[in-house]
Amino acid sequence: MASLPQIAIPGQRLGSLSSYSAGPGTHVQESFIYASIAGPVIADPAQPKIQPKPTLRVSRVISPKDLQPQNASTSDAAKPKPRYNTLPAIESNVLARVTRVQKRQAIVSILVVLDESEHLTSSQTASDNDNIASILTSAANPENHSGTDDLRFQALIRKEDVRAVEKDRVVMDEMFRVGDIVRGSVISLGDQSSYYITTARNDLGVVMARSEAGNMMFPISWKEMRDPVTGAGEPRKVARPF
Amino acid sequence: MADRRRINGPPGGTRPPVYASLQESTTGAAQRAQRQRQPAELRKIFLQTGMIPTASGSSYLEFEPSASLAAARANPKSLIPPSSALKVACTVHGPKPLPRSAAFSPNLVLTTHVKYAPFAARKRRGHIRDASERDLGVHLETALRGAIIAERWPKSGLEITLTIIEAEDDRWWGDAPDSHDASWGLMNVLAGCITAASAAIADAHIDCLDLVSGGVAALVSDESNSASSIPRLMLDVDPAEHRSILSACVVAYMPARDEITEIWLKGDSSRAALEKGDDRSSHEALIDGAVDAARGANTVLSEAVRESITRSIAQA
Repeated sequence: MASLPQIAIPGQRLGSLSSYSAGPGTHVQESFIYASIAGPVIADPAQPKIQPKPTLRVSRVISPKDLQPQNASTSDAAKPKPRYNTLPAIESNVLARVTRVQKRQAIVSILVVLDESEHLTSSQTASDNDNIASILTSAANPENHSGTDDLRFQALIRKEDVRAVEKDRVVMDEMFRVGDIVRGSVISLGDQSSYYITTARNDLGVVMARSEAGNMMFPISWKEMRDPVTGAGEPRKVARPF
Repeated sequence: MADRRRINGPPGGTRPPVYASLQESTTGAAQRAQRQRQPAELRKIFLQTGMIPTASGSSYLEFEPSASLAAARANPKSLIPPSSALKVACTVHGPKPLPRSAAFSPNLVLTTHVKYAPFAARKRRGHIRDASERDLGVHLETALRGAIIAERWPKSGLEITLTIIEAEDDRWWGDAPDSHDASWGLMNVLAGCITAASAAIADAHIDCLDLVSGGVAALVSDESNSASSIPRLMLDVDPAEHRSILSACVVAYMPARDEITEIWLKGDSSRAALEKGDDRSSHEALIDGAVDAARGANTVLSEAVRESITRSIAQA
């Protein structure tokens, strides 16, 4: 088995299909795996039963950690790093801002597609909501360079996708307000204009919201958030507050 | 369509008049540039990515100016530069959502824009893209479409914009237009655009089969009486350095897969003189020459992409 290059460029041959399987950022041509983007080459170790061969991938995330030997990286706390140029795919978690609330649906624009590795290690779910601000403001997030909603992917949250129980009694005005930051999961690539997102899970829903007075609110239950200054509560579909 | 919203310069260009007597004078005010390179030797290429921070990917490409330009600068005899060399800036925006009116697309929708700066060539260009610029855009799109893995980016669009800051000449500026005349400089511009766009796409982390690069080969005859002379095959020709170009070919080539994604042959290649024992037809020889030129450009391209990824790792 030939040794892997540390950094690959598109079109570079990485290894044979007989010893590796192809992961993201690669493609297969005549039973060889080639890189299709430039970046650090990572060989994910084989998992018995599911994946007998180690998986080769080219990472989109540029971090010095990836260039170290693989044994150390699994144990340290995975810091969320927004990936470059990720499209929303089915079952990927996204952060989105509500732009319009209608009777049957809410229209949101997708700000960030969250990293899967963060999702896997979400045993520390309580602290999950804390790093959202850091994800949104991170300079590495290309979305921060473009200000308009035209350059973001639009998505819909239909009334029946808001929560898993009592779907028929959902009132959209009591679930979302314009400007809220929502964590959702993509259920469909949708039609030509918008993706479809669901928040029908305990860990999905509003993660950041401002009250009518304009103050940042904190969650007090799965369906209510409170303004710390005025003390007034407002209804929301809250993502797992505690 | 006329551009009525801007105050345009004179449409015919603003170069000073040059009189035939001046060209024939013994002072050598107007010396034709001579090719100093070997027939198979390329000009040096400068290529760097990530020059435009607001774009998701960008690159800048420059060809080495001909030796005659440096000589003319050191010892100026005329205000007119003897030759020009290509300078291109490329930006890639996307993947971004398609406009609302667009139909659903399971693939990446590629749009390419090639625009000459008004001052890029000796003849002034308008602000609106003309037919040759749109033509270049179509050629570039075919070249890139074969290299990009479009099905990995459903429902999104990629916009590639190239600005030609300095274009190649179509012929030596002092020559009168003749029968062999065609826009030869366009072919060098296309080759440069392909290489620059490929670097910018790699910089934007768009999935590609390979780095695609452009190369040009041409059949030229340098003798003054073109009837008797035998045309020769040369790589990466600067049209200002040759008396007459008979035919030229530009290819977009992916070396790792040995595939051509775009080919553009122009002119008459029937009178080519190949070496003894070489039984290729002359257009085959032209294409092989262009592929060789593209291979050469690819070494620069892959080094530039590797450099950009190393730089971003160092910054992280």
